[in-house]
Amino acid sequence: MDYIITTEKLTKKYKNFTSASNVSLHVRKGSIYGFLGPNGAGKSTTMKMLLGLTAPTKGSFTIDGKHFPNDRLEILKEIGSFIESPSFYANLSGRENLDIIRRILKLPKSSVEAALELVGLTEFGDRLAKKYSLGMKQRLGLAGALLGRPPILILDEPTNGLDPSGIHEIRNLVKSLPSLYDCTVLISSHMLSEIELIADDIGILNHGRLLFEGSLDDLRQSAQQSGFAAENLEDMFLSMVEKDNASRKQRAQL
Amino acid sequence: MSTLAIELRKEKRTGVIPVLLAVGILGAAYAFVNFLVRKDTLLNLPLAPMDVLLTQLYGMIMILNMFGIVVAACMIYNMEFKGNAVKKIYMLPASVPGMYFCKFLILTILLLIAIAIQNLALTRIGMSDLPQGTFEMNTLAAFAVYSFVTSMPVLSFMLLISSRFENMWVPLGAGVGGFLSGMALATSKSGLLLIHPFVAMLKPAVTMSAQPDSAVIIVSMVETIILLIAGLWMAKHLRYE
Repeated sequence: MDYIITTEKLTKKYKNFTSASNVSLHVRKGSIYGFLGPNGAGKSTTMKMLLGLTAPTKGSFTIDGKHFPNDRLEILKEIGSFIESPSFYANLSGRENLDIIRRILKLPKSSVEAALELVGLTEFGDRLAKKYSLGMKQRLGLAGALLGRPPILILDEPTNGLDPSGIHEIRNLVKSLPSLYDCTVLISSHMLSEIELIADDIGILNHGRLLFEGSLDDLRQSAQQSGFAAENLEDMFLSMVEKDNASRKQRAQL
Repeated sequence: MSTLAIELRKEKRTGVIPVLLAVGILGAAYAFVNFLVRKDTLLNLPLAPMDVLLTQLYGMIMILNMFGIVVAACMIYNMEFKGNAVKKIYMLPASVPGMYFCKFLILTILLLIAIAIQNLALTRIGMSDLPQGTFEMNTLAAFAVYSFVTSMPVLSFMLLISSRFENMWVPLGAGVGGFLSGMALATSKSGLLLIHPFVAMLKPAVTMSAQPDSAVIIVSMVETIILLIAGLWMAKHLRYE
């Protein structure tokens, strides 16, 4: 199998709290990988480790055959990312913000307009980013991630703060990216119905541990075998997480 | 070079460039007005005319420069933290120490321009208001370089502090605290106190001679370089979490 992102027992420990524990992910090239988990499960921490924003306590990962931390800059050249909340220069307009990223990535000027158009921000490009609504900031963050059509996209809750039509628009955009730009998408979201519509593969994280990894069909099969409800992703996800929480509680009592 | 161009673009609407230019202009205006109003009193002091020109006006000019540096250093990093922009920079193939160094360079050049404007005013005053034949261009140039070199530790220190704290009030407070403690310690004869960046900057203002003190120059240069290296190291190794 041709994996573009593989992590090997990736672990992040803070003083007395383990955010990610032995997470081994396998993201296929050209696929959309949905990363699911309740709040505080360790999704963002794992994504941050992949981007070098936080150092792993243990474990390693390779992205497109490159190793972290030696190939950090080479890895970042290939990744468009959007983590947690949008990041922008409040004193600059949307267009100027993207121009800063364009210059760092050494892309042609036209890429800024293309990214603005892709996320529907062209007419607001000259407005100061601090005056954008939450949804517009979210779109600006996405435009920054999509700038230069990177081969890998890491998106953490990209539809947060968007209205229903915005969610629909971004969902369709993300879904079309692998075929349009031949890219791989690692996306996390709380909206399970949304991931169900776009993802090829799923990874379910709970309390820092990877409970499941595989295709949606594999998940359905696994859920049926374990006697869980397998009608939709939400039911399967909730059953899996509840079972894990119950066994954690049991272990803690022992 | 491209990192410097990018940093300059980021400064748009932050006020960093206008603040230090305004400090230069205000310092020059203060020198003109002060000499216009107090010319006779100043020239009757028991000091050489060049010492009067350089030391009697420098106190206020230095305080303006100090606050200009403190405010500009706070603003130059505040814009990185305000919209969480620095997080995006960490996720891009950009050199974070390179960004730090370019910010240092921008502040240094702006301070240099401010000091140049102030010294142009002093040159004009010296040529027109000092007694015939007493104005010495070399002494003025040497004092200008001296005031620039002794200001650099504060600039290096303030940039380091502002790069480490997301809340702008922390570096601003450190700047005000540095100024107050520097004022209290500047007249002390102890050479050890020169480690305090604000004391080094205040030194030329508390002496009555326009002759640069080589010990102060050496300590200032070493301090500037050490603080710059510390800032670059932190930019490289202490990541956003």
